[in-house]
Formats: sequence, structure tokens, C-alpha cells
Amino acid sequence: MTFDVFLILNSIPTMIEGLGITLKLLFLSTVIGLALAVVTLLMRLSGHWLLTWPAMFYIYIFRGTPILVQIFIIYHGLPQFEFIREGVLWPLLREPFGCCVVALSLNAGAYVSEILRGGVLGVDRGLHEAGKALGLSTPHRFIYITTPIAVRLAIPAYSNDFISMLKATALASTVTLMDMTGVARTIVAKTFAPYEIFIAAAIVYLCFTWTFQRGFGLLERYMSRYVKKDA
Amino acid sequence: MRRLLALATVAFAVATVTPQGPAAAETLRVGTECTYHPFNFRDENGELQGYDIDVAKAIGDHLGVEIEFHCQKWDGMIPALLANKFDLIVASMSITDQRKQKIDFSDPYRVSIGQFIGAKEKDLMFFNEDGSVNEAGFEGVKIGLQRATTYDNWIQARAPNAEVVRYDAIEALYLDLQNGRVDAIMTNPMKAYLKFLSQPEGAGFEVVGPQIEETEFFGIGVGVGLRKGNDELLSRINEGIRQVTEDGSLEVFARKHFPFTIHPQKWQGTE
Repeated sequence: MTFDVFLILNSIPTMIEGLGITLKLLFLSTVIGLALAVVTLLMRLSGHWLLTWPAMFYIYIFRGTPILVQIFIIYHGLPQFEFIREGVLWPLLREPFGCCVVALSLNAGAYVSEILRGGVLGVDRGLHEAGKALGLSTPHRFIYITTPIAVRLAIPAYSNDFISMLKATALASTVTLMDMTGVARTIVAKTFAPYEIFIAAAIVYLCFTWTFQRGFGLLERYMSRYVKKDA
Repeated sequence: MRRLLALATVAFAVATVTPQGPAAAETLRVGTECTYHPFNFRDENGELQGYDIDVAKAIGDHLGVEIEFHCQKWDGMIPALLANKFDLIVASMSITDQRKQKIDFSDPYRVSIGQFIGAKEKDLMFFNEDGSVNEAGFEGVKIGLQRATTYDNWIQARAPNAEVVRYDAIEALYLDLQNGRVDAIMTNPMKAYLKFLSQPEGAGFEVVGPQIEETEFFGIGVGVGLRKGNDELLSRINEGIRQVTEDGSLEVFARKHFPFTIHPQKWQGTE
């Protein structure tokens, strides 16, 4: 086997062409996913079965199936229905980019709402009671006491999910999107050099993972600035 | 004893120089897959049918020999020919440089072609009256094709302003054409006809423009394979292919399965 180190270096600039789509997918779907997650979390915490059950059902469906299957169902499956093709959502679902944002957002929403729930449940009961004693209302207690602590508790798990999302965007290449993996696969099909090209792609992904990891690390430190450090 | 040997030698020499080629046997054994519809397959009565089969029989008629078919799996096709299990391969085998290192090929009896398929109502104008590429017709049009195929190379060279959407599987290509995610697809019209255009879901679609037969992109086509060193037989097979091309037999064979022809429009001797 011949191994061409220069091919790795030379293919990285071409790979960067797909970076725009990868990052757009990542940021759009994590932002929308976070919004969905907050709504789902509030539904789950509401304590009313009419809100809790749909939220649990949604989480179960999207955590219980592979993202690839979700992308395929949304991309290939939905257009089988006439009312989808005639409907208002078609301009979005017609484009592979739209389908991937929908799939990844729904997926992120399900996972992140569980992460946030973990954070909320981790908040000490005593703090609630203290808030109550001070005469804070339930919404006030949630916003001023629970949220800041829950966010701090959830950050390590959330950063994990964020990095998973970065890697999940690679699945977009299966529905014709030219994200970084899509570009890589096209180069491979032309050069017949899978090792070099995919190693180049892996290097670019690793650079971004490192950046995000650092970013979340700093955020975690910032959020924990009032926490007493155990020696 | 010596006389007998001499006689045998003479008989052998006569047999080898007679213009009948393998006349000693009076039959030519032809290897084919027997499972590749509609080129070589068994019909409901178990009879071999298809374009390859028709071509092989026509060549047999031309050479004046019996044709005897041998069913052989694809991956063992060339080894079986080299091991003398049969004399010819007539199995939709494309002529490639790699295969040419092992065996000889006749002139093509079927072309490798690309063609566009699009919705009937869209009035796609990819070609001018004279058959040349109309680049303006590709402006703002989404073309679906399989990633890094010969079609991909063609469109990048001939219609660089088209927006190309690259797929992994051909089924997804047909689906997205139906769903309107792409305006047209570029593919092999034979496959597209069998799997899509002749099916109910292909009803609103048609081929757009002529069959594109540029050999520098799509290759020379499909030929008869035979062991190296049979130049005499090869030239007679080529003569036979020329005859069935020119007398319209190949068109008749193709139209049993397709509404179009699938052989080179002009008989072209290989180099």
C-alpha cells in the first residue's frame, strides 16, 4: 500500500469548502435543539400528564432511534405523502439542508432536554426551601435559583452532546449534502485514496472538537466562579 | 505407427488452418451469466433469452457453427475462459484496459451511454437542434447523478454551469426526481428504462436529448471476449458484428426489451 502524506495536506483546503455547511448545520440545529429542549423540559416538569406524556413520547422516539434513520425518514419518507409535497413546509423539506436541520434539531432537543432535567434535579432541595422562606414565587425560584445552578451542572454533559452533534452532521453527506464528509467522500471516489482523505477529514474534525472542548471548559470555569473549590 | 502419426499431424494441421476457425468442434462454447435480465436470462420455460444470447446466436449463424451456452458466475468468467471451459464470453462485459491485459475483445455490440431523464412538463432544453450541448439550458437546473461516475465527469466537462447533486444509490436518484428535488437525472438509459421509466412511478418522465455516446467518458462499450492469440476467430467475429449492426439485427434484438437501440450508431472497428 502506498501512503501519500502530501495528499492529506493537499486535500485539507478542498475539505474546508464543506466546512461552511458543517458549521451551519451544527449551530442551527444546536440552537433550535436547545429551544426545543427547554420547551420539552418545562413540559416534563409541569407535572400535568397532558404535557408530560407528549414530552416523554417525543424524547423516547428521538433518543430511541438512530439519527441516520431519522434523517432517512424525513428526507426520503415524508415526500411520499402528497400533503407534504403540497404543504407549507415543502420549501424547507425539499432541500436536503432543511431535512438535516429538522432531524438534527429534533434529535438534539430530545437529548438536551434530558441533560437539562438532570441539571434541574441536581439542584439541592434546601435551596428551594430557602427561596420559599424568602417569599419567592415558583417562577422566580425557577429563574433565579434553579436555572443558574442547573446550567452549571449540565454544562459538562451538554458539551459532550455538542461534540456528538458536530460528528452527527457527517450523516448529512448521505442525503447529498456537501458537508465536510460529503466533500471527502467525493474526493475519495475520484482519487481512490480513502485512507489519506478520511485522515485529512478526521484532522479537521479534531481541530474543531478541540476548539469546542476548550470553549466549554472556559464556560464551565466561568459558571463555577462562585463555587468553593474542594482541595 | 509412424504413418498414423503423420496422418494425425496432417489432420491436425488441416483442422487448424481451415477458415472455419474452431471447425474441429463445429460448436463454439459461449460463457454467459444466465441471470442478467434482459441481456442474458432464462425465461419462464427455462430457455435462455436476451440481447447477449441473440447476439451470440447471430454470430454463430455468421460463422456457421453451433453455439452452446455455459452458465458461469460473473467473478469466475474470465478465469473460466482462460481455463478453456468455453471459447467466448458474451455476457455484457464492458471493454476495459484492465480486462484487455488478460483477454481480447471484439468490436462493441452494445454501447456505454449516458442520457438525461426529466419531467415531461418541464421542457428541458439541454441540447441544440444539431445535438450539441446547449449550456444555457443547464442554467439554474439541478441535475442528479451518482457520485464520481462517468456521468459526473461528462457534466463537469460539457455543462459546467449545471448544479450537480451527487447521490450514492440509484434508487434515491429516481425518488428525488419524482419528488422534484432535482429537475433531471443523468444515468444509463437502459437501467433507467427497466427500473423507472417503464414502471408506474416513471409515468410523468421521459428521456431528454439524445443518447450520449462519447467514448472518452463512457468507454467503448460491451464486446465479445475471447482468449488471446485467436486473431483469425476475432476478425471473423468482428465481421459478424459488423454484419448484424448494419443489417438491423441488433436493433431488432434491442427492441425486444427497450424502446430504443443500444448498439453503436455507426459500426466502429476498434483500434
